[in-house]
Amino acid sequence: MSKKTINIPLGSQHISLLEPVRFKFECENETIVGVDSDVGFVHRGVERACTTKFKYDTIGYVVARICGLCAITHSMSYTAGVEKLLEAQITQKAKYLRMLLLELDRIHSHMLCLSHTAESAGFEAMFMRIMGDREDVMQIQELLTGNRIQFDYVSIGGVNRDIDTLRAKEIALQLAKLQKKIYGYIEEFENNWSLSLKFKGVGGLSLEKAYMFNAIGPLARAAGLAIDVRNEIDYLPYKEIGFKMQTGSGGDIHARNTVRLNEILNSIEMCQNILEGLPEGEIFTKVKGKPQGETVVRYEAPRGELMYYIKGNKTAILERVRIKTPTFSCIPAFSDIFLNQSYADAPAILASFDPCLSCTAK
Amino acid sequence: MMQKIKIEIGEVIETIESFYKPKVWHFLTLNGVSLDANKLEVQWIFSRYEALDDIVIYYVEISYETLIPSITELIPSAIISQRELVDMFGVCVEGSEKGLYLDEDSMQKPLAGCSI
Repeated sequence: MSKKTINIPLGSQHISLLEPVRFKFECENETIVGVDSDVGFVHRGVERACTTKFKYDTIGYVVARICGLCAITHSMSYTAGVEKLLEAQITQKAKYLRMLLLELDRIHSHMLCLSHTAESAGFEAMFMRIMGDREDVMQIQELLTGNRIQFDYVSIGGVNRDIDTLRAKEIALQLAKLQKKIYGYIEEFENNWSLSLKFKGVGGLSLEKAYMFNAIGPLARAAGLAIDVRNEIDYLPYKEIGFKMQTGSGGDIHARNTVRLNEILNSIEMCQNILEGLPEGEIFTKVKGKPQGETVVRYEAPRGELMYYIKGNKTAILERVRIKTPTFSCIPAFSDIFLNQSYADAPAILASFDPCLSCTAK
Repeated sequence: MMQKIKIEIGEVIETIESFYKPKVWHFLTLNGVSLDANKLEVQWIFSRYEALDDIVIYYVEISYETLIPSITELIPSAIISQRELVDMFGVCVEGSEKGLYLDEDSMQKPLAGCSI
């Protein structure tokens, strides 16, 4: 006799979701045995707009609007692609300032994910504690760029705002305070009984499957797959500022949390190194010409590898801008992870993916 | 370094099967570039793990009516970018349904021929 299954949807609007995505779970009793996903609820036509409505020198600001959380990574990737096509050389100081903001962005994005993961385990106090501390990072970003979220900090040729000694000191001070708090989180996520019960051994991804599904970001690194674009590019000198690859094992929710916490510590360390060793010089170099040819540029966004393919024809309007976002790449892996898990764990597993549908459906 | 290699549509499966080693190459995505109102370039983009910007692109130039073979037998995660290509360019990819990105009442195949 065949077993009876029931279909239970999660989304497109659901209490555990921040953005619209729909997973349709086929369940045998409490166990998920089949998954179908739908990600196309907020498609905004950004790729089309980039080749029909905007000139190449404004697109960096357009693509930043794809996502509030990784705005800097989008504008950075696009800008680096155009600079590559134009063979532009930017100053070392501009590169360091770009890395500073990229890492600050990673810190607050990971903190957002950790807070929601704690919330999904019913640990409201931890959610509020992390969100409260995250606010300090938002203020650092405002101090550096003038804005909390949409920075418009990067432009073709460099960055738009310099940092003075007073601001640099204040940022270093705030980061040192945050560093201590992160050690407290690590202790909590490692040893708290309710977080352990909800996260350890739940929602795992094996290393073999991480390769099979081309997983990226903290999802892949928690499974032991050492993939981080910061390790595979040379247009930003990540090795100079102390980048260290963070990997885990087991690939469960706990491993993903641990990888994110260790990455926050490494990002803080990198920011401190940038502030201590910030090169002298200009922050902007004038770039001439119009993009011609094609290029692929990748950056490590908080959720993993972000890819831009840019094709220009020596006019102000580009022929193609292709944006491959991290969450989009991970959808097949997400679906596989849900299989054989309890439906009751689905919200916590989903929160640990840190999905960004705003990016996915760009 | 970016390496771009042109292949014929009939060689896609065979080429990717002999090239792709899951622990060496990371499949980035499938990409479409509209060449004119009738012609499209389809690209399969790969990067080498832990190598400095080692990118390989296999590409074909085809008409919009050409059936594109599916590589999901070799790379299961390609299903998502195959379905995106179907929605965005209105092409047919073997075994890939439309409707992942775009609802029936939204603008269809928005990137088909849009760059020219």
